[in-house]
Amino acid sequence: MSRLGFTDARHLLSRTGFGAEWEEVKRLEVMPRDKAVEFLINRRDYSVPAIPRFSSWQKMVALHNNMSRRRMVMRIAKAEGAGLKNWWLQHMLDTQSPFLERMTLFWHNYFPSSIEKTKAPSLLVNQNRLLRKHALGNFSLLLHDIAKDPAMLVYLDGYENTKDAVNENFARELLELFTLGRGHYSERDIKEAARAFTGWGVHPKTGQFFFDRTAHDPGIKHFLGQRGNFTGENILNILLKHPRTAETVAEKIWAEFINSSRPHPAVVKQWANVLRASNYNIATLMNTVLKSPQFWDQRNRGNLIKSPVELAVGTLRSLPYTLPRNNLAHMLDNLGQCVFEPPTVKGWAGGQEWISTQSLMRRIGLLTNLTRGNLNTVRRKTGVELKLPNVPESDLQNWLLSVQPVKAAPASEGKQRFVRFLVLDPAYQVT
Amino acid sequence: MRLTGAAAIAGAVPDIALAAAPPAVHQPRIVVLVELKGGNDGFNTLIPYDDDSYYKHRPTLGIRKNNLIPLQDGMGMNKALQPLKSIWDSGDLAWVQGVGYPGGILSHFRSMDIWDTGAVQGDSTMGWLSRVLPRFKQGLHGIAISPDQGSLGPLEGSQLNTVAMQSPRSFLANARFIEEVPLNRQTAALAHVTQTQHQLVDVGKQIVARLQNPRSRVPMRGAKGQLGHGLQSVAEMIVSGIDAPVYKVTQDGFDTHVGQQGTQENALYQVGHGLAAFAETMKRAGMWDKVLVMTYSEFGRRITENKGRGTDHGTASAQLIMGGRVNRGIHGRHPNLDRVDANGNVAHTTDFRALYATLAQRWWGQANPWHGHNALQFV
Repeated sequence: MSRLGFTDARHLLSRTGFGAEWEEVKRLEVMPRDKAVEFLINRRDYSVPAIPRFSSWQKMVALHNNMSRRRMVMRIAKAEGAGLKNWWLQHMLDTQSPFLERMTLFWHNYFPSSIEKTKAPSLLVNQNRLLRKHALGNFSLLLHDIAKDPAMLVYLDGYENTKDAVNENFARELLELFTLGRGHYSERDIKEAARAFTGWGVHPKTGQFFFDRTAHDPGIKHFLGQRGNFTGENILNILLKHPRTAETVAEKIWAEFINSSRPHPAVVKQWANVLRASNYNIATLMNTVLKSPQFWDQRNRGNLIKSPVELAVGTLRSLPYTLPRNNLAHMLDNLGQCVFEPPTVKGWAGGQEWISTQSLMRRIGLLTNLTRGNLNTVRRKTGVELKLPNVPESDLQNWLLSVQPVKAAPASEGKQRFVRFLVLDPAYQVT
Repeated sequence: MRLTGAAAIAGAVPDIALAAAPPAVHQPRIVVLVELKGGNDGFNTLIPYDDDSYYKHRPTLGIRKNNLIPLQDGMGMNKALQPLKSIWDSGDLAWVQGVGYPGGILSHFRSMDIWDTGAVQGDSTMGWLSRVLPRFKQGLHGIAISPDQGSLGPLEGSQLNTVAMQSPRSFLANARFIEEVPLNRQTAALAHVTQTQHQLVDVGKQIVARLQNPRSRVPMRGAKGQLGHGLQSVAEMIVSGIDAPVYKVTQDGFDTHVGQQGTQENALYQVGHGLAAFAETMKRAGMWDKVLVMTYSEFGRRITENKGRGTDHGTASAQLIMGGRVNRGIHGRHPNLDRVDANGNVAHTTDFRALYATLAQRWWGQANPWHGHNALQFV
């Protein structure tokens, strides 16, 4: 099989990572396409930087229950939350396996939980580790684990769902967003599923999942045409047998990796079948997706808008610019993608929604500030040296842009000026 | 073009001299939309204190007659809205009760899409205002104030010239970096980016010009919280003479599944306080007759309280309208609380499109695009 070549290598890297580092493009361009895809999928470094100290769940519960000290909960969540966000973003900047982090971020968006509601950094960091563990693993295990994940139980009120006070919140989003999608279930299915999950909670001392038998409704439930004294696990298994669950995954994968327009139903079906046939192996699905004609189709190049994380982290990973103040989390918040703080349970809408007049202004503001810096070699914390490749301007353009620039190149010479021109061109906003 | 020079815009108004004062613009009649995010409980906002059924459904959450602001016909306002009492007394406040749409959908997202687009079926993403504003207004159509990446909602649409911003100040601070670019259709994504950048430059020109040479300066006093500051920005832009016919602001915190009372009252307090301060500013600026404020929310809440002293997603709710030309009163019928559907929700009595029809016809003097939904009398 023939070599990937420069342009396809940059396409593969920028779609699956954060930007496309020059050295990486050079490494992949000599590989055949299938080899390059498999190389990326198999390169998984699960190590993460040292986790900051977070207040325990037990402490947060105690503060919350003490009316005179409740205000502390907010204060701690804010301060420790900033540490949590910067911890993950730093890892995105430094990781040796960016695809694994992209997938972790994809699942964070798929199964969102927010610091704003949970006020529990210690639970969210555990959820983040769970998402990374399964990011290229098994969707069935991921779904089961996330349903029992303490941060999720708090975020969607599952921990308050008892047989005497049924709370539908988790059951509703499980059906609407995580598995079947609207139009494939009834309001009754939501109510019955909610009953099955009663008694699932977070232990007030350990912050771990625990099942309170006395709060569980063991009665008969009618769910999606089936009848039985279902438990929460039974409900998840019924959903995993339903073809729509894998289709929902495939639809979101399409929007993340191919094109933000509506996917072709035949492609969704095909990918969903791959996922189900592999017993929900996510790596198998991604192997199919990244080798698919749709992924490589020229018409899909430059047809995804970079997420704020891709834009900011991608620029900082590829070019030797430095952030004036090292508060990436705050900056991403301004751009509309604050990790650990998705706007709703639907996550970030993404696609064209990334660009509003407001966010575009801020994206350009950020890039303008960054590109004021010079392009001297910088040494990152990890010891990696980042420098601008010494290549002709045309190569720089092919590297940094996926489509032709919108504006005319500057008349005056100078690499710094030329890179600045490329980064500030609207074409840099797409991938 | 560059919107301004390199001077940082630190103060309220940039001090960069323009060659000429901006031309006088005709300011159209203005609508300020207040989104109550999460699904506001209309029954504890506009309280039917003469309806025994209300107290049967709400043994703990029901608000007693001695604990509310009586208005008329057995209906009273939540006490958290106290600052609005004087506006009611002067005849500039109206309520529409029982507002909803057929086949109420209990998903926040889908239901908000319906409210935003004015279409109960299909999956149009075009905001309902794109059926009204382009008919009579060129140029700028609307400004949404949102602290985060809030969507444009009813101002969404390729035919609308709209922007979202955190505040005019932050808008100007960032807009100075933006250069004019030609529309580029290499890909749909790039077309969207260049189109947005074009809009940004266009709107930026006007906002810069107006805020530097405001028609008058009437600052809004006592702004607090997300909504208060949003309304303060809106007031600043209206007073300075920016010609947007629609502004949108948001108050969060209405998804009250658990422990509703404190949460809802806190959110309503923000609404009452913010709207009263805004009304006072418009009056001082002589703009009160040109402005109409309307609330909306994706849905109301279930009439029967749940066991967590909260309420789950419902259907019909009450919406507030105020302005110098508003006809005081409680419009629409109070829903029958004894008849609920399979989800425990009451039937709505006023279709939400009647509110949009009223704004189109009676406020802006345009034909009603929502056939079968007649305008109400609140303005």
